[in-house]
Amino acid sequence: MNNANLIAGDFLSLLATQKVSALKTEVSASAPVQTQATTVFAFHFSEGILMAGDRRATAGNVIVTDRVEKIMDIDASSLLAIAGTPATAFEMARVLQTSFEYYRRSQLQPLSLPAKVRALARLLRDNLPMTMQGVGIVVPLFAGVDHTVSPAKPQIYFYDPLGAQFQAVGHAASGSGSQTIRSVMSFQEHYGNPKPSEMNLADAIRFASRLLITASEFDSATGGVNPASEIYATIKVLRSTGVETISDAQQKEFLQKL
Amino acid sequence: MTEEPYRWLEAVANRRDYVREQLKGGSPVFAASLPDGILLLGVGSGQSKVFEIFDRHAMAGLGHPADIEKIRQAALDAAHMEAFTRAPEDVSLRRLVSFGLSGQLKTNFEQIFSAPFLIELLLAELGIDPSKDLFFRLHFDGSFQTHFGGAYVCASQMDTESAAQKWLTETIKGKTDRKQVAQIFLEVWWMLMHGKSFTTSTPNESERESGWRADLNEKSVEIGWLDRKTSRLIRYESLTAEQLGL
Repeated sequence: MNNANLIAGDFLSLLATQKVSALKTEVSASAPVQTQATTVFAFHFSEGILMAGDRRATAGNVIVTDRVEKIMDIDASSLLAIAGTPATAFEMARVLQTSFEYYRRSQLQPLSLPAKVRALARLLRDNLPMTMQGVGIVVPLFAGVDHTVSPAKPQIYFYDPLGAQFQAVGHAASGSGSQTIRSVMSFQEHYGNPKPSEMNLADAIRFASRLLITASEFDSATGGVNPASEIYATIKVLRSTGVETISDAQQKEFLQKL
Repeated sequence: MTEEPYRWLEAVANRRDYVREQLKGGSPVFAASLPDGILLLGVGSGQSKVFEIFDRHAMAGLGHPADIEKIRQAALDAAHMEAFTRAPEDVSLRRLVSFGLSGQLKTNFEQIFSAPFLIELLLAELGIDPSKDLFFRLHFDGSFQTHFGGAYVCASQMDTESAAQKWLTETIKGKTDRKQVAQIFLEVWWMLMHGKSFTTSTPNESERESGWRADLNEKSVEIGWLDRKTSRLIRYESLTAEQLGL
């Protein structure tokens, strides 16, 4: 019942022994227009990390949908924000979700934060042929809890399309609208009162919503926040104790107080 | 030997006796369907008896630790491959046991020149209500029994298990509190470990309680809880005896 070729707790090696490919790399010369473009970001606030994203997916100049979830729970202490081609990014999220849970259950301990960060880098590297051809590019953000320090501390990581990983000190952003809000986040961190890192949850949610509204004013591929159409951002909070999703109803309440 | 059918039958019978003998003294495990979830309990040395298999699935077992580990890994591999290639909702205990574990155990048991698996297992799947909770009692030779709802004991010897099962079913009737049910499990555990009778001269409640409390000084209680009420996809939670107030 044991497979000698299996690396203990490694779901990708289990997939390989079963001849199941996690990410397909074949590319058709006549590849269709991809759905992409996004604004996702994460910043430290007083209780942990807030990660948020708009909900629009576009293909060329066509709005495909305004209901995409780009911030995903990977496990009880990790979040992924996807920017780029959803087809590839969703598959990466699914691989990570299964891999992290498989490791935790089989090894009877959770995967460490550095290993989680590298697992995503490995998937990005596996996707290199697609990235180099300009099809299926993914530039994600990752947030996880570092349990090697006391007290445990949430951390933000960002990647380049080839899989290099970098730890963000205060904030990180990705997607077509990210340039706009990086400036705003940097300004707020230097001159704001309160600074994002000092904000309470209510302030952090208001700040996140305003960032998305700003991004959508400069980037047509970012959906922003539109209470009239009942379109809100996806906002999740990562604390050392776990993940909390801020519902549309909660966002609505906070926005009414703007 | 295989070309002589009677000697093969004899070898299989000897093998069955050998496994039963090896399993003697194994610490029994338990599971019960309650309104809020499924409770699994074993007495071991920490993460050795009760295990999470998948989002709504758990396993408790007794036997050789290396064999329990092999079966646990096989179940984990099958469940996660199924969830990845189809969907987490498609992972079902019925398919996992009847098309996976059972067949592998039977094949292993009948290969008389290899070491048999020294295990007895109880597997549980959380349903949308207690009547849909599914339990499999899986034996070392691959045979199994299926049950919906109720409370179950998995012991090393069939005769004592059936007496304990009857007593457990009667005693647990109407009990829905996790702590109460866990206490009854520990009483049955103590009676099985000390060879107490479930039919005549059954020890009274205070004797049973002081018995298991004294025995637990050198052991740890392993408790698994499959939570029906949580909104999380992963329903399994490992609990300590203190969390249950034992």
